[in-house]
Amino acid sequence: MRQYELMVILDPEIEERTVAPSLDKYLSVVTTDGGSVDKVDIWGRRRLSYDIKKKSEGIYAVVDFTAEPATAKELDRQLGLNEVVLRTKVLRTDAD
Amino acid sequence: MAKPVVRKPKKKSNPLKTAKVETVDYKDVALLRKFISDRGKIRARRVTGVSVQEQRQIARAVKNAREMALLPYTSTAR
Repeated sequence: MRQYELMVILDPEIEERTVAPSLDKYLSVVTTDGGSVDKVDIWGRRRLSYDIKKKSEGIYAVVDFTAEPATAKELDRQLGLNEVVLRTKVLRTDAD
Repeated sequence: MAKPVVRKPKKKSNPLKTAKVETVDYKDVALLRKFISDRGKIRARRVTGVSVQEQRQIARAVKNAREMALLPYTSTAR
């Protein structure tokens, strides 16, 4: 098990109050594979420094979770397939 | 004979020490802004006055922040 930090940028067109439930849904991979979600921090709408998929804004969320390496990879893959997700970044927090 | 110019190296105050930062985090945009120029380029160590290790951490953090659109790759100021 390793500690990870995930940052996602979501499409600004979705309703802000649906962010938390849909994030939970995406993170269900972690819990079903025996990991745990430690902290979810939704930053909210933020201006992007440059356009991503023609969008100049994004909804940022930072999630701390513990999971197996394979699970983290799978989560990143699933988020990448999701239309609503503009960008993701998974970093290990227990390293360096 | 020309006298060799002796320059006193001016000690720069370490901006990380003054900000009391242990590890540089790519999410701390306000801090990272101090280490990029107005064109969005990473400032040289010569300019920032941090240690080699710290400069590496800063460079990595800035690059991560750029990927997540927290900082610009280039800014077209001018």
